[in-house]
Amino acid sequence: MIQTGLIQNAHNDLVTDASYDFYGLRLATCSLDQRIKVWHMHESNGTWAVEDDWKAHDAPVSRLSWAHPEFGSVIASSSFDRTVKVWEQVSPLGQPDSSQQLNGSGSSSQSQPPNSRWVERAVLTDARGTVRAVEFAPHHFGLKFAAIASDNQLRIYECLEQPSLTTWQLSEELDVQSLPSFAPPSAHSRSHTVALATPTQTNATLDAPSASLVTQALQQGIQQNVSGAPQAPTRSGTGNREADGGWCISWCKDRYWGELIAVGCGVNGIVKVIQLSPSRRPTAVLTLDPAPAPETAQASSAPEAQATDADHATAAPPAFAITSVAWAPSCGRSYHLIATGGRDGRVRIWRVKPGDDLDREEEEEEGKWTASVVADFDQHKSAVGRVEWNITGTVLSSAGNDGRIRLWKATSGNVWRPAGSLGVEQAVETEVPESKDVDMEA
Amino acid sequence: MLGESHLNLVPPLVESGDVEGLAKAGQTLSLAWSPLNPSLAIFVTSTTPSDEHSLKPDSNDDQPIYFAGLDSVPSSERRLFITDTLIIFAAFQNLMKAAKQQEPDWLQSDQSLEVMRKLAIDYVNFIKECWIHASQPLLRRPEGPLQFSSEHYRSLYTCFSLFVVLYLAEPGYEDAPVGDELMEWLNTHFIEPSTEEGDHLSSLEHPWEDETFWPYLTRATLRGLSKASIFFLGILSRHPSEDLQALTKTLLPLIESQPRLQNFTAERDFAYASRRWSDKVKALRIEMDRVPEDNRYDAFDNWWDRLSDIVGILEGRAEVIKRVCGELGSDWKEVCAAWGVFVDVRLRRQDLPDVVSQVLDILPPDPTHLEDMIHAALFAGEPLKVLEHTSQLDPWLSAHLADIMEPLSLIEANLDEELSLRDFHILKYADYLHSDPALWRITVDYMYSCGEIGKLQADEILLRVPLRLREQIESNGRIQSGGIVGVLKDVNQTCLQYQRELVRRTVAAQTMIQEKDYGLAVPYCISAEDWPGMGRVVDRVLEEYISSGSTAFAKYASAIAPSVQELRNRPSRQGIFAHRLLFAVRYAHFHQLREEQEFQDAALDLLAIFSEDLAPKSWWAVLLCDSVPLLQHGPSLLFASASASELLRKLEEIFVRTSQGAGDEYLSVLMRTMHGSGEKEALEQLKLVRLALARYFARCTSR
Repeated sequence: MIQTGLIQNAHNDLVTDASYDFYGLRLATCSLDQRIKVWHMHESNGTWAVEDDWKAHDAPVSRLSWAHPEFGSVIASSSFDRTVKVWEQVSPLGQPDSSQQLNGSGSSSQSQPPNSRWVERAVLTDARGTVRAVEFAPHHFGLKFAAIASDNQLRIYECLEQPSLTTWQLSEELDVQSLPSFAPPSAHSRSHTVALATPTQTNATLDAPSASLVTQALQQGIQQNVSGAPQAPTRSGTGNREADGGWCISWCKDRYWGELIAVGCGVNGIVKVIQLSPSRRPTAVLTLDPAPAPETAQASSAPEAQATDADHATAAPPAFAITSVAWAPSCGRSYHLIATGGRDGRVRIWRVKPGDDLDREEEEEEGKWTASVVADFDQHKSAVGRVEWNITGTVLSSAGNDGRIRLWKATSGNVWRPAGSLGVEQAVETEVPESKDVDMEA
Repeated sequence: MLGESHLNLVPPLVESGDVEGLAKAGQTLSLAWSPLNPSLAIFVTSTTPSDEHSLKPDSNDDQPIYFAGLDSVPSSERRLFITDTLIIFAAFQNLMKAAKQQEPDWLQSDQSLEVMRKLAIDYVNFIKECWIHASQPLLRRPEGPLQFSSEHYRSLYTCFSLFVVLYLAEPGYEDAPVGDELMEWLNTHFIEPSTEEGDHLSSLEHPWEDETFWPYLTRATLRGLSKASIFFLGILSRHPSEDLQALTKTLLPLIESQPRLQNFTAERDFAYASRRWSDKVKALRIEMDRVPEDNRYDAFDNWWDRLSDIVGILEGRAEVIKRVCGELGSDWKEVCAAWGVFVDVRLRRQDLPDVVSQVLDILPPDPTHLEDMIHAALFAGEPLKVLEHTSQLDPWLSAHLADIMEPLSLIEANLDEELSLRDFHILKYADYLHSDPALWRITVDYMYSCGEIGKLQADEILLRVPLRLREQIESNGRIQSGGIVGVLKDVNQTCLQYQRELVRRTVAAQTMIQEKDYGLAVPYCISAEDWPGMGRVVDRVLEEYISSGSTAFAKYASAIAPSVQELRNRPSRQGIFAHRLLFAVRYAHFHQLREEQEFQDAALDLLAIFSEDLAPKSWWAVLLCDSVPLLQHGPSLLFASASASELLRKLEEIFVRTSQGAGDEYLSVLMRTMHGSGEKEALEQLKLVRLALARYFARCTSR
């Protein structure tokens, strides 16, 4: 491994996400500083220069996602301000659309190339919690994206008027935890567990009956919220849940299996694979649960055991939130690989076999998706914050609180093994880096 | 090259070994993979994602983003090595392709094996050249310092040539004794004894008085270097011991006359000659044993013991060879090669592993020395181990060896759809190549030589090749009409070559849209039967009307007009998208007519768009506004009154539905053409249409 570049100071606060465009020539970054920056790589020397920089949200930006280039230069951003925004890059020559608010200029004092601007095309405000992740669907399903918020709702938005990008329809909105999961007989105990472990009370504590009114109020008060004022009283007690929970999504990149998305949500430590279909309600075709142990789960969520305090029940010992899920491009494999990273410090790789539901009748064991853990790594020894695959799905990388990025690869015998790591520790050979340290402080 | 390594990024953020440093500050690392090459962007983020984090605008902390690649980009001589060996690889793939047209066992035929052997020798020769080139002093290499040392290429050279000796014998000679060939290989790559030693000894008056004399002579004999052996045995004729003089007189012709396989046409004759020769060696031994103990010393040494070792080697005594090799500091390779020359002259390739396992027990290979481990695995006939070690030495080597191993049935071929061992190593090499995105052509060449998994990986790479259209336009003015140039052309050709139509079309359509070359994009979508894609292109064309006005729109739309015919010829027309295409084309035609002042035709066209139900509801209002100048056309009445009534009906529908709250559906496009106006302004505009219609009816009746 070799370091190939550095952006010395990308943002004014911690960076929350970085996302390459389809070709890897541009990098969009977002930060707690509420801004989005788009960086461009000079192909001649590999250095990065900022191309655009704008204040995007009224709270930290959580994630970014690029749409497929066939839809133009489009970014979706999710934020703790409970919105998802859609941005499009326009060139002044192409789109003399004076009515739109231009974001590239004005807001930034830095000098920057004047020939591109990112226009806010849509603001989607349906979430009743902080929006934690956003990801565009594979392009063959059209221009649509999924977003997950701390209200445990998975929302799918579809662009209705494509070139203008202004009209987005909320085509699905589903409570991930109470989503009916498929119950194939073979995995009976597992799905049973899930059914019991998803008390609707969770939702009730998070969003009281008057939730929509509250959120409206909250949205108006968001500025204060961000600047550090105490949160609205109705949300007290959810702070822990927010801190301990994990909300993450990853689309299946394949076209063949239809629209599938893996979703991790809350603190229960499981990932659901949800199938979206125009003809019927979304269903969870599979639940990835590393600790199916029915006894424990049933006991902790049994009605007599603190059913009133759902938070407490779901936070029972074995459950650690999944913070990141990544669906590998299948690239010709007969099975799928889904990686998860969680607060339990584990990086897991699931080998997922699709059900052969194509020639089967509805009544039969249709959609019998199966999964097995093919790798379970604990080298991080501390919470894992991110897992991500390379574009061919052959190398997995994970980031942990041990301050290391770790890489994982399969051997020729299809066994997953550590394949190196990266860190930001002072190198043991002192000479050269020390002089750089001085530079930094200067 | 890869292995499990750790890289510390600079500037560092925590002390060495401080695993918890970041976490204590509430920070951790996160990452993103680049699609351009196997590299990562790494940034510092918060351990607890929450909005409670306070903004700290005054903070002087840098928020760095690090970039790191999995491999060093091939440069300098390495790049040349990669591009040149690709040619041999491609020739090999052509052979494999040809084999598919033939009987299943065609690949095992002498003819095919001969070609494979020839290509493998091409690799060897090429590596050799590269090694020689790399061994030259820096001054003679204008391209600057090497990326890989000459030592590295030497390792590749020894390994690949050994592979050829052991696994790609000349067709017909697979079952022939291998001893001489192995010894030749050893003498080529691991030269012993050194020429300097020989020069030194030959310069001495009494070389046998030098301590290196007997080891030199023993080794020369062991290595079958008969010229050197004969020269120094000749010198021994000056040795004071008459016994030794006599013995060397017998030994000399024996060394000179040791039967060599290459001098025989039939192995039987060779075996017969070898046996007779061995008998003569035995006679020498008897002669030696007659030398009395007391006469076996000269002033410096026990010459008899020394000579006995040499005769022992010629006799093919395994224990002598093993012991002597140990004393000489040579390794298991030398024992194995000598085995085939002296111990078992008829040693065959398939018997070699047995010998090797015996030898390795006494003289094991150096586990820290990859090259040695590879040699051992090759000798021992363990292709899997060969690949395991070579992939650590250089993915180039494992890929190209595996590529040849598969047709030789040394490793199993593709099983079902999962990854074969050959493909695994080829893809590993391809991954390495991808570290330089500019090498994408070579990267996909290797990937497309694989099964389904490799092919689909190549698709991903190909789809992401930056097309650099903008730069091209800057340099060329514009993309040449109909033709495509530069990177896009290359991508296209690659797609055609490997029959990746879907990729080609996706890339092309993507490009055309970027370039607003809709006239190419639509046919591409149609040929790929990508109806939603075509719909998107048409949408973009319609968008041109909204953003740039009717003239630009008409220009773009006329470019997609030929596709309408193409679509008609298709049995399964894709309703809604075809409909939209037709609308765009017809509507553009209408504008063209209006511009050419063909008002009558324009009016008829407008009516036809309505009566054929081509226009989406959102466009009705725009069309109706377009009708105003036609309605007000002075010289003649362009619409029949029934047609005008039809327009009025549409107009009323808009008013009624808008009042019912469906304004978005009917007025959105008109509102956008009016640049940000609201529903009210749009309705005002439509009232003008109503007025024009009313006046028109008045004119109708007044006539």
